[in-house]
Amino acid sequence: MLAPIFHIAAGVSAGLGIGIGGGLGAVGAGVGIGIIFGKVIESVTRQPEMRDEITSIQWLGFALTEACFFYGLVAGLLSYVLK
Amino acid sequence: MSNTRKVLWAIAGFYIGMLILLAVVFGITTHKNNAFQPQNEFKLINWVHLGVLSINRAVVYLFIAAVLTVFTMVFIAGRMQARPNRVQTAVEAIYSLMRDNITRGNMPDTMAAKWFPYVGALFLFIWYCNLIGYLPLPTNSQEKVNIFGAHIPSFALYAATANVSVPLVLALITFIAFNWEGIRTHGPIGYLKSLIPAGVSGPILFLIAPLEVISTFMRLISLTVRLFANILAGHMIILFMAGGLAVILGASWLGWFTMPFGVAIYLFELGLVATLQAFIFATLSAIYLGGAVSHH
Repeated sequence: MLAPIFHIAAGVSAGLGIGIGGGLGAVGAGVGIGIIFGKVIESVTRQPEMRDEITSIQWLGFALTEACFFYGLVAGLLSYVLK
Repeated sequence: MSNTRKVLWAIAGFYIGMLILLAVVFGITTHKNNAFQPQNEFKLINWVHLGVLSINRAVVYLFIAAVLTVFTMVFIAGRMQARPNRVQTAVEAIYSLMRDNITRGNMPDTMAAKWFPYVGALFLFIWYCNLIGYLPLPTNSQEKVNIFGAHIPSFALYAATANVSVPLVLALITFIAFNWEGIRTHGPIGYLKSLIPAGVSGPILFLIAPLEVISTFMRLISLTVRLFANILAGHMIILFMAGGLAVILGASWLGWFTMPFGVAIYLFELGLVATLQAFIFATLSAIYLGGAVSHH
């Protein structure tokens, strides 16, 4: 008798899983990437001759931070697949 | 109004005009379409059955990437001149990036000479794998098209690195490599001791030591998931924005609306993410290799 409620709950929670995984992951990644590029702008303003070195570190930091968003997304997708 | 301004207004007008035309002619209601399953776009169908070595589209892409990497680099290396042309200059810049920035910047020089072939090949192979994933090739054997009477698989975008096995294998090789280097330099017990930061002693060791061991295993997971999820997510966004969403919901105006985002994401992925993810994988491999032999 309670079976349909479990079905609906499973569907809702699977959708919620992806939403929360992707959403919260995007929050963290957005803050982190914003900080990185803000610092790059500050430091290039202070020392324009260091621009190339700082740019190479900037891309490294950007990709590492972006990866955290994908961990959240993969966790959400895992929750969808495993329900 | 200047000419550029007029062209931009014309493009915007055309975009919104077509949107309204499609909405009026085909209706704005959505009809759920269950015949299209997006996960079939990433399904691997075995074309030649050889058990675990069966040939499917991912194997073909891996083979193409490997052949391209080796042949283009050997070809350019065999035609080097004292006054370089543009291609040679570009390849020399890439070589300098791999050797000086990635390998020598993160490892001691003797070790860099030994591990540079691995790190360089890793960077180039992952870069080629990612790039040819954005080239439409006839690999979708589930939907065949009829061209001049021949039934060929339809054109599809697929990257070998969009399947979790390829980044996993590459990350496993890096994992085994840096652990082996660490154990070779410090000995097995010494390597485990070198994981713990300097100046830590006493009861907090029972908390720090397991965390450090787990974080070393997390390097394997994070290397894999970073490359895999970046490329897979990029392909899925392109799939949905460039028409997948419109097909699933059965709304033609939605397809027209999301198409520019699809093109933008395609250019973003092709131009930035493919190269960046290869660079990150190679750099992190070099950092882990260098860190495993360093003495705190």
